[in-house]
Amino acid sequence: MSIQKLLLYLYPRIWRDRYGEEFLVVFASHPFSLFEGIDVIRGAFDAHLHPRLGTTALPASERMRKMLSTLRDSLLTIFCAYTGFIMAGMGFQKMTEDAAFQQAGQAVMLVGLSFHLVVIGAVVALLTVLIGGLPIAVAVIRSALVRKRYRLVLWLSVPLLACAALLLTTWLVKAIDHPGVQPVWHLFLNRGTLLGVLIAAFITSAGALCQAVIHSEIPEKLLHFAVLPSILVTFSMALILAATLTWGLVLGEAAPQFFTGNGGLVGTSTISSWLGIVIIMTMSTGLSTVSLLRGLSARFALYNAAL
Amino acid sequence: MSVPDLGRFSDPSILILASLAGGKKHGYAIMEDIETIARVRLGTGTLYGAIARLEEHGLIEALPAEERGRRPYCLTPAGMIFLREQLTCMETFAALGLQRLAAL
Repeated sequence: MSIQKLLLYLYPRIWRDRYGEEFLVVFASHPFSLFEGIDVIRGAFDAHLHPRLGTTALPASERMRKMLSTLRDSLLTIFCAYTGFIMAGMGFQKMTEDAAFQQAGQAVMLVGLSFHLVVIGAVVALLTVLIGGLPIAVAVIRSALVRKRYRLVLWLSVPLLACAALLLTTWLVKAIDHPGVQPVWHLFLNRGTLLGVLIAAFITSAGALCQAVIHSEIPEKLLHFAVLPSILVTFSMALILAATLTWGLVLGEAAPQFFTGNGGLVGTSTISSWLGIVIIMTMSTGLSTVSLLRGLSARFALYNAAL
Repeated sequence: MSVPDLGRFSDPSILILASLAGGKKHGYAIMEDIETIARVRLGTGTLYGAIARLEEHGLIEALPAEERGRRPYCLTPAGMIFLREQLTCMETFAALGLQRLAAL
C-alpha cells in the first residue's frame, strides 16, 4: 500500500467516502514530500475535529442521524475522559491528605490557593456531570422499561457492583494488613491490588454506562442540553490541571524536600506520582477538548439543519 | 447574506473560488490553476479541507464525476456573491494602500 493511501486512512470514513478517490488522484499526482505529509496529517486532524465536513452529499435524514450519533459519542468520550481525570484527581487528593502537605498549603499562599482551585474545579465538574448526565440516565431507564430491554438496567447497575467490589477489596486488604513493619513486596501487593481494582472499577463502570446510552433511545433535546455541561466540565478539567501543575511547581520551588521523599501513591516517589497525575490529567483534558470540538461541530450542523 | 467563517482556510478558499470563477475544474486542475495565477502551491490536505468547507457552506458544488477520481466543482450563485464581496473588499483595501503609498 502506498504512503498516500495509508495517510488517507487517517481521515474519517465519511470524509474518505466523499473525497477519498479524488483526494488520492491529486495526492499521487506529484512526488511525496515531508511538507505534503504534514499538510495531509493536519488536514486529517481538522476533518476529525469537524465531522460535519464531507456529509453534504448525504440525504438530510442520514446526515442528521450521523451528526446526532457523533454528538452522542463526543459527549460519551468527554464522560470517559472525565472518569480518567477523576482517577488522577483521587490520586492527587490521596497524596495531599498527608499533614505535611496540608501545612505546606498553609505556609505557602500559592500552594494553598491552587489546592482550593482544585477543590472548586472538582465540585463544579461533578455538579455539571450530574446536571448533564442524570436526565440521560433517566432516559436510559425509561427506554429500557418501555422497550423491555432489561440488559440496559443491568449495564446501569455495573457502577454499583464495581463500587461493591472496591469496598470488598478495601476491606480484605485492611483485614490482611498487619500493623508494624511489613516487607516492601507485601506493601506493593496490597496497595497494587487496591489500585488495580479501583482502575478496573472505573473502566468497567464508564464502559457499561456508555454501552447503556449507545443502546438506548435518547431524545435529541437531552443531548443538546448536555452540550453546555460538557463545556463546563472541560473548562473545569483545564482549571484543575493548571492548578495541580501550579501546586507542584510552587511547592517544588518553596519546599523541595517534599518532592525528594516517597510520599507518593503506593509508596512511590512523590515527584513521579505528581508527574503521573499531571500526565493523566493532561491526556484526559486533551481528549475532552478534542471531543468537545467534535461535538460542537456536530451540534452546529444539527442547528443549521433545524433552521 | 451572512459571511461564512472559513477559519484558517479563508485564504485557500478565496483562491479556490477565484480559480472556479474561470470555469468548472476538478481538484488537480484547481491546484495547478492556483499555482499559475497566484504562485501558491496548496497542499492536498489544505486543498480538500477548503473544498469541504466551501461545499458545506454552499459556495461551490460538485458536478458528476467525468472519470474515476476526477469530480469537477463549480461556483454556486452564493459563491459568486461571496467571491465578489471578498474581491471588492480587497480592491478597496489595495486602492487605499496604493493611495497612501503615493502620498509618501
